[in-house]
Amino acid sequence: MNLDIKIEEEKDLTYEVFLAGEIDAYTAPKLKDALMPLAEKDNASITVDLNRVNYMDSTGLGVFISILKATKEHNSDLKLVSLQDRVKRLFEITGLDSIILIDSTVQGGN
Amino acid sequence: MKPLKLDVKSYQELLKQYIVSEDETSLYQAEQFSKMSMQQKISPEEIIDVHIQALKELYPDLPAEIDASLDFLMETMISYGLAYQEFQSLREKQVELQSEISVAASMQQSLLSTTKPNVKGIDIGAISVPANQMNGDYYHFVNDDAGYLGIAIADVIGKGIPAALAMSMIKYSMDSFRETQRNPKTVLENLNRVVERNVDSSMFITMYYGLFNLNTNLLQFSSAGHEPGFYYNASKDEFFDIEGNGLVLGVMNNASYEQYEIQMEKDDIVILLTDGVTECRIGDRFIEREEILEVIKEYIHLPAQEAVESVYKYFEKLQDFHLRDDFTLIFLKKNV
Amino acid sequence: MNFQSGVHIKKEWDIVGARQLGRNRAKELGFGTVDQARIATAISELARNIYLYAGTGRVSFEIVEDINKKGLKIVAADEGPGILDISQVMEDGFSTSGGLGAGLPGVKRLMDDFDIDSVQGEGTVITTIKWVR
Repeated sequence: MNLDIKIEEEKDLTYEVFLAGEIDAYTAPKLKDALMPLAEKDNASITVDLNRVNYMDSTGLGVFISILKATKEHNSDLKLVSLQDRVKRLFEITGLDSIILIDSTVQGGN
Repeated sequence: MKPLKLDVKSYQELLKQYIVSEDETSLYQAEQFSKMSMQQKISPEEIIDVHIQALKELYPDLPAEIDASLDFLMETMISYGLAYQEFQSLREKQVELQSEISVAASMQQSLLSTTKPNVKGIDIGAISVPANQMNGDYYHFVNDDAGYLGIAIADVIGKGIPAALAMSMIKYSMDSFRETQRNPKTVLENLNRVVERNVDSSMFITMYYGLFNLNTNLLQFSSAGHEPGFYYNASKDEFFDIEGNGLVLGVMNNASYEQYEIQMEKDDIVILLTDGVTECRIGDRFIEREEILEVIKEYIHLPAQEAVESVYKYFEKLQDFHLRDDFTLIFLKKNV
Repeated sequence: MNFQSGVHIKKEWDIVGARQLGRNRAKELGFGTVDQARIATAISELARNIYLYAGTGRVSFEIVEDINKKGLKIVAADEGPGILDISQVMEDGFSTSGGLGAGLPGVKRLMDDFDIDSVQGEGTVITTIKWVR
C-alpha cells in the first residue's frame, strides 16, 4: 500500500494537507519529509485531512509528534481533521489527543 | 559420466559432444559446468571467452562475422559479470550483519531476561515474541519480600534494533529506581523524564505498570498510552477493558499519570498485551478487539502459561507464521 | 615504449573516443579479448563519471613496466566538485542501486591496481592499472 500526499496552500502560510492510503514504517518517512518543511515555517497553520487514511501504525504517530514539536518551536498550528475510527482510537489510547488538536466534528472514511 | 574439469579442453570436448549428438547428457554436464564456474567465481564473460576459444579450435574456418558477433556478445556480458561479483560481496556482507544481529539479539535476551515469579495464589503466564530478531516489546516482573509483585509491559514505537536499544534503556532505568518509588504513577513519571531526555522526537514508548499487593489482593496500576488490557470479573462472569488514560512516554517532559485500582477476587483474571496482538492482520483485514477476546476466552481455562502460548500459536497461524509486529501477552490468574 | 596519450571528456561522445584509444593501447600490449573488454568498460565508467559529475576532464593512458610485467595505466582527472565521502562511493550497492552502472567498485574489480584522490571543490584523480597476465 502507498500513501498519497497532496498539499494545498489556501492562502499565505495556511496549508491543507490531504492524505490517502496507509501510514506505516514504509510511508512515514515520506510523510515526515512532506510535512516538516511546512512545520518549520514561522506562524504557519497546517490542517491535515486524514479522511482517506485507512491505516496508521505507531510510526505514523511518531511523525505527528515530531511535526507537533516543530510547529510549537515555530509558533505554528497543527490540526488533524476527519479521522477514521481506527486511526482516532490510536490517538486516544496513546493520550496524544490531549496534546494534538483533533477536530472530530467530521468523521472520516465516508 | 566423467568428472568435470573447469578448463577450455573439457569445455571444448563437451561442446563437441553436444554439437555431434545434441543429447541431454551434454546439456546436463553444461549445467554442472555452469554451477562449478559460479562456485569458482568465474564470470559470464570468461565463459564466453572459453566458448570462443573452443569454437575456434573446433572450427578453424569460422566465418569472420560469427567471430565478431561473439566478441560483441562477450562485451555485453561484462556488466552482468560485475553485477554478479557485487552480489557475491553484498551477500557476504549480509551474512556478517546477520551474525552481528544474532549476537546482539542474544545479548538483549540476557539483558532483558526476567524470571516469572512463583507467587502463591497467582498463576502467571507470559510470552513475548519479536517479529524480527530483536524485540521492541518488553515485560518484567519484580517480586519483593514486602509482599508486592510489580508487573511492567511496554512497547517501543517501531521494531527491530532501534526499538530494542530503547527498551534496554527502560530496563536499566527501572533497575535504578529505589523501592520507595515503586508505585505505578511514580514509576511512569520517572521513566517518562528519562525517555523524553534520551530519545529522538519521533520515538516514544507505551507502557503499563501494575503493582499487586499479595496481602490485600489490590492491583494498582497506571498506563502511559498503552493498549488497554482486559479484566475478567469472575463473580459477574464478564470481561472489561482495563482503561487507564495517560500520555505515551517520551513526548512531554512533565507528563503526569493517574493511578487506578482493581480489587482482585478468586478466579479473576488480568490480561495484558501489546499492540502486536491487536494489530494482527489477515490479508487486508484487521482483527477487532472483540475477536481477540473471543480467542482469549477459548483458551483462558488452561493453566496461564499454556494459555498464553496457545493464544500466540493461534495468531501466529492466522498470520501465516509471519508476525508483522512484536507480540507480547501476559495472563495473571487469581486462583485462590 | 612509454608514451602518454589521452582524451578530453566534454560530451558523451568522448566516452567512445576514450574507450577506443584505451582498447587500442590494450591490444598493442597484448591483452586478451576479455581483458580488453574489461578495460573498455572501466574506461566507460571513469569517463562517464567525469561527464556526469564534473562536466569536463581528461582520461589518459600510459604504458607502465614493472620488474617482469607490463601494464596499462589509466588516469581519470577532473576539476569537478570532488567526492565528499570516498568510502561511501567505494561501497558496493551505493552507486549501483539506481542502475547507473558498475560504479567505482566495479572499476576496481575490472582493474588490478586502483587509487583515488579527491579534494572537495578542487577535483578528483583516479589512477588505475591493469597488468598483462
